[in-house]
Amino acid sequence: MLGTLLFLLIILPFLAALGCYLFRMAFLRSLLVVGSGVVLTVCSLALIGLEPFEFKPPALLWLNADIVVSVLDFALLFLILYIGFRLKNNLIKFLAALQIVVMAYLELFMMEHGASHAAIRCDTLSLVMVLIISIIGSLICIYGLPYMRKHEQHLNLPRSRQPRFFAFMLVLLGAMNGLVLSNDLLYFYFFFEITTLCSFLLVRHDLTDIAKRNAERILWMNSVGGACFALAMMWMYPTTKTLELSAILQMAQGSNLMLWPLALLILAAFTKAAQTPFQSWLTGAMVAPTPVSALLHSSTMVKAGVYLAVRLAPAYHGTFLSTAVALFGAFVFMTTAALAMGQSNAKKVLAYSTISNLGLIFACAGLNTSAAITAAILLIIFHAISKALMFMCVGTIEQKIHSRDIEDMRGIFGKMPLVAMFAFIGALSMLLPPFGVLLSKWMAIEAAANNIFVIAMVAVGSAFTVVFWTRWAGVMSNFPSGRPEPDHQPFLTIAPLGLMTIGAIGVSIFAPWIYSHFVSAAVPAGADAYKISAGVFTTLSGAFWVYPLVVLMAAATFLALRAARKSRNDPHASPYLSGLTAVGPKTFIGPMDKPVNIQASNYYMLNVFGEEKLTMWVNMGALILLAILLGGAL
Amino acid sequence: MIIKYIIPVLLGVFAAPILGGLISGVDRRLTAWLQSRYGPPILQPFYDVAKLFGKKRNPVNTWQVFCAWLYCTAAMVSVIMFMLQADLLLIFFVQATGATFLVIGALSAVSPYSQIGGHRELIQILTYEPMLVLVFVGMYLVTGSFEVGTIAAYDNPLLIKLPLLFVVLGYALTIKLRKSPFDFSTSHHGHQELVKGLTTEYSGPHLALVEIGHWYEVVLVLLVVSLFWATNIFGAVILVAITYFAEIFVDNITARMTWRWMLGRVWFVGLAMSLANLVWLYAS
Repeated sequence: MLGTLLFLLIILPFLAALGCYLFRMAFLRSLLVVGSGVVLTVCSLALIGLEPFEFKPPALLWLNADIVVSVLDFALLFLILYIGFRLKNNLIKFLAALQIVVMAYLELFMMEHGASHAAIRCDTLSLVMVLIISIIGSLICIYGLPYMRKHEQHLNLPRSRQPRFFAFMLVLLGAMNGLVLSNDLLYFYFFFEITTLCSFLLVRHDLTDIAKRNAERILWMNSVGGACFALAMMWMYPTTKTLELSAILQMAQGSNLMLWPLALLILAAFTKAAQTPFQSWLTGAMVAPTPVSALLHSSTMVKAGVYLAVRLAPAYHGTFLSTAVALFGAFVFMTTAALAMGQSNAKKVLAYSTISNLGLIFACAGLNTSAAITAAILLIIFHAISKALMFMCVGTIEQKIHSRDIEDMRGIFGKMPLVAMFAFIGALSMLLPPFGVLLSKWMAIEAAANNIFVIAMVAVGSAFTVVFWTRWAGVMSNFPSGRPEPDHQPFLTIAPLGLMTIGAIGVSIFAPWIYSHFVSAAVPAGADAYKISAGVFTTLSGAFWVYPLVVLMAAATFLALRAARKSRNDPHASPYLSGLTAVGPKTFIGPMDKPVNIQASNYYMLNVFGEEKLTMWVNMGALILLAILLGGAL
Repeated sequence: MIIKYIIPVLLGVFAAPILGGLISGVDRRLTAWLQSRYGPPILQPFYDVAKLFGKKRNPVNTWQVFCAWLYCTAAMVSVIMFMLQADLLLIFFVQATGATFLVIGALSAVSPYSQIGGHRELIQILTYEPMLVLVFVGMYLVTGSFEVGTIAAYDNPLLIKLPLLFVVLGYALTIKLRKSPFDFSTSHHGHQELVKGLTTEYSGPHLALVEIGHWYEVVLVLLVVSLFWATNIFGAVILVAITYFAEIFVDNITARMTWRWMLGRVWFVGLAMSLANLVWLYAS
């Protein structure tokens, strides 16, 4: 039973990917993607209640699974090295070679092989991650089917590239499931590298110059992370004599020898989660088709980074490293939210918002109290749903209006009311009560209140967040009176959007249940962090009303909607234009009796928050904090 | 049950807007007095709102109706939550929800005046939000709780331990009440460069809702001020009265500045003072 479930969760996506790649029929591809989506969802749900368990992978084709993974790992590293030569990129070549040397030394000369061990381990944290990856990831892949069909319509390719596209998407899902279920760091590292390679290939997908350039950046930046990971394993092995995560977590507590390898692993997590100064790979990844961005930002890739930090949190509990991680995370939360302020490119706003939220997750991991870790895990869940929803909405809107600029989304509600409504809810779910993201932000603020610098940065960062999301929601609703025209989207587009919207609302309402059934078990001493009664999270210092607020806000929304409906047939006023004569909803009669269009645009405050102005300072600050983090671990 | 829940809720729903309206009336009289005018009757704000409610609905679009309602109800809910002694951060988040919808309503209208007003209001929110969070953190560090009940039950007036944070709250208050020099997003006088900014396009009964929502908000921020002297009801009232008079005074002696000045000045001074005050608390 367990073996079958794990096989279906980890290996099946690889097989389905192979199927997508080999059989080039669109119908078969849709069947494979939808089918593996359904299987993944069912299997991840079936895993509930079985955890915690350990699992020893059986021999594959008469070969020990450990050896298979090691061999594949070297194959992967040589592939990256080969890509480095193909791209003539010395940095990639060097980092791949470094990893090959380190891994070869570790595996051939240092490690004692053959000891039987459980390479797979599933506890509640892994389970939560598997659920996120399998359900959200699958929905994004399904959303990708109509999206990619439309995407290729304009390109006039001689030969469709969709088979490889969906193959890599599915591989990413399988690799992520493998990653979060690995207990052996070698397995973890192997899947970690697969996600790097997949992102490289997916971002490169359109083969435009900019896609190639940004993909190259993904490869080298994440290779830095890979190299840190490999070095960390080599460094810790003499102390730990094992690479089993569960054993390392126990050994590391209070051991100063382990701080450096842990710091290196954290650095690997930072690169994977695109924290400053490595943010440019994720902001560059937006050149890929939107399903890729949705997948990288919500349920895979970057979440591998924060998962690693949360997983390791008990190991660096109470050390300087922990404080440094908290400071660094809060710094990233604040600065990248500021960078998002200056953006009118919707995908870039989303990218910076992702980096910012991941920063907050790192900050929580660094604060390292059971309340803070709870906040981190809840934020991983809520952010995944809201961000996937936002990306899919932006992708759908972009295919309709052929622009991803927020200014061009002015009045999108009139052109595609349903999708605009989903996007509106998605944006609000990032900042308003009673939505879950705010619940985790509340937890984060109360957990950070004892660290003056962390709390100051979190306070400033969350104010930035409010501004750029509100601005966007306002733009989408900017609409002269009248009925919106209905818009027809394929079922496979609307269904994932609708499900994700329901999901965003649903997980927020059921947050107390999710906490008491999943998250509290995933946190050391987690059950003590919050008391729950009648849907209210209570601590010694405060309380967050989930159910009462849901009821109150639902009643308020109901009243407001009723008033708005009633008002639909009212005579509508024309916009105020200082008494100038209006002709049509957005035009007035200007000088010389010529019609003039009304124009207004958002404040982006570029001379304060512009990317060119801020990025250098942000990167410098991040480097200083990283130096403090690494130096302090010495 | 009745004393614990129903009376506070009724006070929050009904007494708060009456108080807010009266404060607004007194505000206008005092302002008139400072400007050597006679000023309207104290009940004038109620007459205004009643008149607005009597008008025919003529909104620019249905979004704005939706937003006006949510602004007013969220402001009301936040006051109710204060009366029920909830978590200050949560109260503030609910209040921010209302503020957010007020801005979305303004941004949903086509008029450039409304658009600019909306954006300026966002900058105001950006400026005061971190300050308020830090004030609450200061209260937590002194009393060990974010909950209104525990904070109010603290033995000594908070003002003694949080003098600088009280000044910071003053800044936030001025911005929140949109008083000069921070009245960027809208003003009492419609004959300026941004007309009525944020509220340009709200009209009739919907403008009345916005007005009532604002009364709730005024009461909420004054309640937060009263927490600084919660040991004694007279102390609290006197502190609130002095603070509010200072607001009116500042409003009358200063002119509107630019958002750059506000953001730079308030963040620099506000963050410096907050951090200094918080460091004292950590030290002790």
